Amino acid sequence: MSGQYHRSHSRAWFLERPGYIRFMIRELTSFFVAAYLVVLILTLGRAAAGEAALAEWLQALSGTGWMVAHGVALVMAVWHAVTWFKAVPQAMPIFIGEKKLDAPVAAVLMGYGPWLTVTAGVVWWAVR
Amino acid sequence: MTTHQHDVIIIGGGGAGLRAAIAIAEENPSFSVACVSKVFPMRSHTVTAEGGAAAVIKPHDSLEDHIYDTISGADWLADQDAVERFVNRAPDEMIRLEHWGCPWSRMADGSVAVRPFGGMKIERTWFAADKTGFHMLHSLFQTTLKYGAIARYDEHFATRLLIDDEGRCRGCAAIELRTGTVRAILGKAVIICTGGAGKAFPFTTNGAIKTGDGMAMAYRAGVPLKDMEFIQYHPTGLPGTGILITEASRGEGGILVNKDGYRYLQDYDLGTALDVSDPRHPQKRSMELGPRDRLSQCFVKEMWAGRTISTKDGDAVHLDLRHLGEARIDKRIPFVRELARSYAGIDPVHEPIPVRPVVHYVMGGIDTDANAATNIPGLYAAGECACVSINGANRLGSNSLTELLVFGAEAGAGAARFAMENAEYNLSGLEAQTADERERIRRTYFSSPAKSGGERIAVLRGELHEAMESGAGIYRDADSLNATCTKIAELRERYARVALDDRTNSFNTELTAALELSSLLDVAQTMAHSARERTESRGSHQRLDFPERDDDHFLTHSLACHREGAEAPGIEYRPVTITKWPPGARTYGADSGLKRKPAGT
Amino acid sequence: MSDSKTITLELFRYHPETDSEPRFQSYEVPYDEDWVVLDAINWIKDYVDGSVTHRWSCRMGVCGSCGMMVNGEPKLTCAAFLKSYYPFPVRVEPLVNFPVERDLVVDMDGFMEKLRDVKPYIIRDDVNDTSQGEYRQSPAELAQYKQYSMCINCMLCYSACPVVGHEEEFLGPAALALGHRYNKDSRDRGKSERMEVMLSNEAMWGCTFVGECSVVCPKHVDPAGAIQQAKAMGAQEYFKRFVMPRGAGTKGAGASRGAGA
Repeated sequence: MSGQYHRSHSRAWFLERPGYIRFMIRELTSFFVAAYLVVLILTLGRAAAGEAALAEWLQALSGTGWMVAHGVALVMAVWHAVTWFKAVPQAMPIFIGEKKLDAPVAAVLMGYGPWLTVTAGVVWWAVR
Repeated sequence: MTTHQHDVIIIGGGGAGLRAAIAIAEENPSFSVACVSKVFPMRSHTVTAEGGAAAVIKPHDSLEDHIYDTISGADWLADQDAVERFVNRAPDEMIRLEHWGCPWSRMADGSVAVRPFGGMKIERTWFAADKTGFHMLHSLFQTTLKYGAIARYDEHFATRLLIDDEGRCRGCAAIELRTGTVRAILGKAVIICTGGAGKAFPFTTNGAIKTGDGMAMAYRAGVPLKDMEFIQYHPTGLPGTGILITEASRGEGGILVNKDGYRYLQDYDLGTALDVSDPRHPQKRSMELGPRDRLSQCFVKEMWAGRTISTKDGDAVHLDLRHLGEARIDKRIPFVRELARSYAGIDPVHEPIPVRPVVHYVMGGIDTDANAATNIPGLYAAGECACVSINGANRLGSNSLTELLVFGAEAGAGAARFAMENAEYNLSGLEAQTADERERIRRTYFSSPAKSGGERIAVLRGELHEAMESGAGIYRDADSLNATCTKIAELRERYARVALDDRTNSFNTELTAALELSSLLDVAQTMAHSARERTESRGSHQRLDFPERDDDHFLTHSLACHREGAEAPGIEYRPVTITKWPPGARTYGADSGLKRKPAGT
Repeated sequence: MSDSKTITLELFRYHPETDSEPRFQSYEVPYDEDWVVLDAINWIKDYVDGSVTHRWSCRMGVCGSCGMMVNGEPKLTCAAFLKSYYPFPVRVEPLVNFPVERDLVVDMDGFMEKLRDVKPYIIRDDVNDTSQGEYRQSPAELAQYKQYSMCINCMLCYSACPVVGHEEEFLGPAALALGHRYNKDSRDRGKSERMEVMLSNEAMWGCTFVGECSVVCPKHVDPAGAIQQAKAMGAQEYFKRFVMPRGAGTKGAGASRGAGA
């Protein structure tokens, strides 16, 4: 029937619900994670080019601007990781018999646990 | 343009209607089946059934026990040939539904789990936690999506059966809600599966849609309504809202106590109260697992004795589940916890739930035989709207969901056969009837004088509720029933002046509310008149002026017949079919339900 | 009922025969703290304005009829208590992301088609005779899909999903969760057939995991989780077809016993 009324969304649909805003923020953090990866790849490239090149690159990176950028990237990456770990139990439920593992336990098991272990390993390797 | 033709027309899209549709689609793939429903199928009231569906499946159970439980539960008013057929077919139907994906709760070995239910000697109630009706309805609905031959007319409100020149039922006139168009939906046979009529009462577990439309439609077309005086009160509804707290909560071990914390059922010939820690608790066919009619009657007697608890929504007793513990409640009856928390503000893990009897089910209905056929050739009925009869004077909990399947399938098979053998009909006569119906609706509801001075639907409905509750409730007598009959006559007269605010076509739910009220007035009238004429007490029909069962005069089904031009139904009687189980004393308690040898075997 | 307190309901009104634009109409309703929003709407229809149009039936949160936007949130109006809003006005609109039929009633046809599209029924060629009894299914196998079988088709998730609002082809949370429910059922052998539908274009991949469907779901079905699992399953299925173009499409492949963790 032609008499139906159709409602449309505004272009700023992502402001309609707090959940949408959180979603957009999470999407935004991906940009910072990607940017940091570029920096990391460049670093590896410099390292391959020799010790002097790497030292020069690291020297450049220790400037205030770069430090701030790294700080921001770290916050964004942590936010991205935390929201990811929150989502993992939903996407990959673990069953023990007929009981589904509670989300926080699954998040520790599949997210925070491995993350902290690897981080600790890297730290140990770096400072040893 | 407004006529649609199929092979079989099913009115109603709940459990019975969908089962019938699948039966036809499976057995007669070339048939076109129409499913006409005033709501989308998954909104049908089957969805609210909680506790389970009975069928013999476990090795320690027997068909004969299920038959005896059902017949004694019915206070010997059930037709025994029909009960036998029902019980014999039940396991097959339940397994079929399992094959269609119903998520039955399971034992560790992967077989279906069963739980005890009221009035049943052995645990035989299959369940899907405590949302059995929901899962059954959705499994059936989803299974119908497999069959292209099933055409759905969702949100079409059927208003009249169409009968051809030779007296055969050939379809219905129905209002398409979206446009208000009155259509002829024609077929070679028709099945009514429109559910019960609990909305004739104010305090009911029934949803808004349970207004007896199919019963009224069949009645007006000349099918008697059978045993309409038998109305089931479920003993445990939430005060105020009437929301059902399933019998499964007692099957799992819940107990009923009065204001003194005393398990009052032991005072009413229902057995002895075993401690809840006793491994024999809950004892089958005993105490809290007595039949629904008895438990509801006990409540009223406790109330008269001043031993109930008063709440702001009237008197109540306590259903105590605390001893079951949180884990068992969450696993077996999670919906009970959800409902009690949301609608009563009570967590049954920590507090008892206040409950009181609430109108739940109409045992009576469209008179059918054990083949689900009515006296009109080509017209069948199944589910709560029908009276086969297997439920007699009191239905046992968990028999109704199974009944949908068994007699839904039966009706489907019967209707398909009839359609095959009676393929030819005269189209123009049926279209003329539809045109008449279109005109009747316009004249009755859209051309009445101004709203002022007209009767308001809600007011008439409210007065009907009051009349039914005060005069035709758990206990009745001649005076109360006379008053109710008089009041209904007055309401029917006033209904002629009903006035709608809404005179438009599209999605006019005020019009459907008016049509529903007219169904309720007809159905309620058959309830009150049948109850007035049955001067005995049996099952759910308790007459204070005739407190004894009277097999000499009333081992009979009442038949309320519509008489053209008359103000009230004529009440006739037909003997109950007794085969092997002669009427006996209906006993509950520890030693009840002992194997009784059927006569002549 | 508490003596003379009232609460204001602002109802979305639209009539397809007379209106080109919707409007809001305010009604004063007696306030009762036991009442839900649906009770208030029914009271209006019964005693004030019979032309107000809405759907409802069970009033206990299981038939799925009475979903509406209540102060901008998709809610079952039978489960939205007036006391959560009192004394402020309550604004009721039809579910968003659906065309409006009239007043608070939306057009469900598209939703019903999507349900059918996911083939929500057991598919297998070797159906047992009923004389062989039930299929065995352990409690653990039941648990794999039980949560996703709890959907009441109330469509609140469609109103919470931004993809549904923008992408016609997207099957949407409830339908996809239902498809996944059957894929996870140990009795089913139709995963490949069902995946055929779910894998096409935007049918499933449109989901960006905003997750609001699971937030608003009144029955805790978690369609968002189901869809992410279905995507993982779909990726496997896609890969299998890639490496075994002929063999992977056969019924029963990989669906032997409750594919799970």
